[in-house]
Amino acid sequence: MRQRNGSPPVNGDDLAGRPPTRPGPLEPWPDTVQWQPISRDLIWVELIRLGIGFAVALVVLGVAWAITGHWLPGVVLGVAVLLAAWRAVTIVRAVHAWGYAERENDLLVRHGLLVRRLSIVPYSRMQFVDVTAGPLERAFDLATVQLHTAAAASDARVPGLRPAEASRLRDRLTALGEDRAEGL
Amino acid sequence: MSHGPADPEPGAPIPHPADPAPHQADPEPGPLPRPAADDRPAAPAPWSHPGYGQPAPPAPGHAGPTWPPSDRPGPPPPGHGQPIPPPGYGQPAPPPPGYGQAAPPPGYGQPGPAGRGQPGAGPPSPGPWTPPGPGPWTPPGAAPGWPGSPTLPPPGGEEPRQRLHPLSPVLHGAKSLVVVIAGLSWSTLSRVGFGWFTVLVAVFVAGATVLAVVSWWNTGYHVVGRELRVHEGLLWRRTRAIPLERLQAVEVVRPLLAQLTGLAELRLEVVGGGKTEAPLAYLGVAEAGALRQRLLAVAGRAPEVVPPAAGAPPPPAPAGRRLHTVRNQDLLVSQLLTPQAFLLPFGVAFVVAQFLSEGSWSFIAVASTLTAMAGVVLQPVRRVLDDWAFRLDRDDGTLRVHNGLLETRVQTVPLHRVQTVRVTWPLLWRMKGWLRLRLEVAGYSAAEPDDRNRPDRLLPVGDARTGELIVAEVLPGVRLAALPSTAPPRRARWLRPLTRAAVGAGLDERVFVARSGLLTRQLTLVPYARIQSVRVTQGPAQRRLRLATVHADTAGGSGAAAPDRDLAEAWDLAAELTARAHAARHADRGRRR
Repeated sequence: MRQRNGSPPVNGDDLAGRPPTRPGPLEPWPDTVQWQPISRDLIWVELIRLGIGFAVALVVLGVAWAITGHWLPGVVLGVAVLLAAWRAVTIVRAVHAWGYAERENDLLVRHGLLVRRLSIVPYSRMQFVDVTAGPLERAFDLATVQLHTAAAASDARVPGLRPAEASRLRDRLTALGEDRAEGL
Repeated sequence: MSHGPADPEPGAPIPHPADPAPHQADPEPGPLPRPAADDRPAAPAPWSHPGYGQPAPPAPGHAGPTWPPSDRPGPPPPGHGQPIPPPGYGQPAPPPPGYGQAAPPPGYGQPGPAGRGQPGAGPPSPGPWTPPGPGPWTPPGAAPGWPGSPTLPPPGGEEPRQRLHPLSPVLHGAKSLVVVIAGLSWSTLSRVGFGWFTVLVAVFVAGATVLAVVSWWNTGYHVVGRELRVHEGLLWRRTRAIPLERLQAVEVVRPLLAQLTGLAELRLEVVGGGKTEAPLAYLGVAEAGALRQRLLAVAGRAPEVVPPAAGAPPPPAPAGRRLHTVRNQDLLVSQLLTPQAFLLPFGVAFVVAQFLSEGSWSFIAVASTLTAMAGVVLQPVRRVLDDWAFRLDRDDGTLRVHNGLLETRVQTVPLHRVQTVRVTWPLLWRMKGWLRLRLEVAGYSAAEPDDRNRPDRLLPVGDARTGELIVAEVLPGVRLAALPSTAPPRRARWLRPLTRAAVGAGLDERVFVARSGLLTRQLTLVPYARIQSVRVTQGPAQRRLRLATVHADTAGGSGAAAPDRDLAEAWDLAAELTARAHAARHADRGRRR
C-alpha cells in the first residue's frame, strides 16, 4: 500500500480507499467513500462518563436541595435529569455518526450530529500522531488516534478504536506521512 | 527514522547513531520495510529520540551526551532535499510524528509517547535515558570554543560558540529601569522620599544588570550544520537547537536604545513555537545582518526561488529589488481615516460636555478619562510609528520588509513560507481606493494578543495598483483585480441577510479565494500548496437549508472559509481543494528535489 500515485486507487488492504465501483453521479461525494465505523463500545465509555458527571451533579444538587429546601435546586435537578436522558440518546447516535476513511492520499474523518463535520487531512501534512487511552477507554479496550497537522484548526481525531486497529492506523499514518512528507 | 531503535528487543545492541551507515544509507525513508508493524506494540520507540536511548558508548571524541558533534560527519550529502538529521538529536527532519513541534529544547525531549500510558505500551525506550542536562558542558569562559573536548576538535569543523554583544547587559539593565520605576510606582515615591527612591531604583537596576551580565556570560550561539544552537542559562542550562529548514521568517528588531548603541535583536520564527523562538538580544548590526544572511542561506539551500510556471516576475533580480515604498503622508492620512481618529472629536466633545454639565473636575475622573482616550488614540499613533518609512524589497526569493520609526524592524520572509495573504479594504479608505495587505507566516501564533508582535504587514496602505503589483510578486500569477468568486446561493440570505452578497469564494489557478465583510471588505488568498487540511462543517440551520461551510486550514493564521455554499457545491469544492492541494504539493516537491 505504498506509492500508488497516479494509478487508480487499488485497495491494498480491504480497509482503505474508495469502493471499487464508481458510484452514480447522483450520489454526493463523501457518501461514495467507504466509511469505517468506530467501536460501539465507545457508547458505554461515553455513557459512563456522562453517568459520572451526572452523579456528581446529582449529589451536589441533592445536598443543596436538602439543606436549603429551596425549590430552585429541585428544578435544576429535574432539568439535569432531562438533559442527561437526552444526552444519553444522542450519545448512541453520535457514536454511530463517527466514521473515518483512509484514502490514497488523505484521511477522512466525519463526526457530529448537530453540527456535522468532515475533515480531510492529507497524509503528507501529518506532523505527529497521538494515540491516547484513558482508564475508561482502557477498560473497554479502546484507544483514540489523533492526527495533528501544522494547522491548529484541522481536527482529525478518531476515538473508539481497538488497540490493534489503533496501532495499525498509527503505523500506516506515520509510514505514509514519512513517505510523502513535506514541510509547510 | 523508523529504523534503528525500532527494534523492540530491549537491551539489544542498537545501531549507534554515530554510526553513519544505517542513517546515511536511508536518509529519506522510502518505502520502508517495516518488519511486522502490527507486532510492534512499542512503536514509540521509533519516535523517541534515538540519541537519548543510547545505552552507553559515547560518541567518539566527545564526552557530552547532548550532541555528539561527531555524529555528523561533515555537511549533509548534497542532492537531498531533506537533510540528514544529526541522529543524536531530537528533531529528525524526515518528519516522524512530532516534528512540527519546533525544536524542543533537547534536554527536555520526551522519551517518546511510551511514557504516556499507551495501550499495550511495551518495552520502554531501550537503555537508560541519559539526561542531557548539565553534562560535561563546561561553563563558557573555560574555553572560547566548544568546551566538550578541547583536545579533540570535532571533525565537522564546528565553529566556536559566539557570545552576544558585550553591551547587551547594559541595554537589558536600562530596559529594566522603566520596569523598576513603574513597579515602585508614585505611591512609593511619596512614601519614602526622593532620596530613598533613587537608592531603591539603583539597587534594583543594579541587580537586574548583574543578572543580565550573568545571563550574557552564559549565553552563546553557533551554527552547526543546518541548525542554530543557542545555549543559555547558568543553573538551568538550556540548549536549544533550531533546525534551519524549519525557519519561517527572520526579523531584525532595533529598539530605540539599540539604535543609539548600534545593536540589534535577531528573532527567528519557527513553526510550533508558542512565541518567537530564540531572540538573540543583542548583536552588533553588522553581525546580525551577516547571521541573518547566513541562516537564510542555510535554510533555503534547496532551489526554490520562483515557480517557473508563473509568468509574472522576471528571473531573480540582483539583490534587494525595491518593490514599494509607502509614503509617510499616505500613512498618516490612512490612520486619520480610521474609526478611532474619526470618533475622537465626538469623544472629546462628549467628555467635555459631561464635565461642564456636572461641574466636577476631580483628578481621578480626568485621569481615567485621559487614560481611556489614550488607549483609543494610541492605536493609530502606534501604527504610524510602527509603519513609518515602510519599504518592501524583493531579494532573490525572499521578501524584506523594513518599517518603524522609534523601533525599526527588518523582517525577512522566504516567499515559499507565505501561508496566506489577506487584502483588506476598510470602509473609510474606500473613498481613497486604498487597501491593506497582510501575510501570514507559520510560527507567529494566532493566539498572540498583541499584533505588534505579529509582524504580518505586507503593505500598511496603498492603492489598488500597488496592491495588485505586490500580490503578483508574492503569489506569482495571481491578479488581484481578476479573482473569481461567487456568492452563496440565494437561500443563504436566511442565514446572512445582509452579508450574503459580500461573502464568496472561488478557485483561482493557484490560490483559493475567500471574500468576506460588508463594511470592511476582506479577501483571503490561500495558495493551494499551503493548505494543511480541508474541512466541511454543517450546522443545524445550514442542514435545513442544504448549505455547508468549507474551510481550508493553513499553518498559522486562521485559513480561509467559504461559508454557506450549496451542499453539493461544498462537497465539490472540498474535493477540488483537496485535489488541487495535492497537485500543488506534488509540483512543489518535484521542484524542490
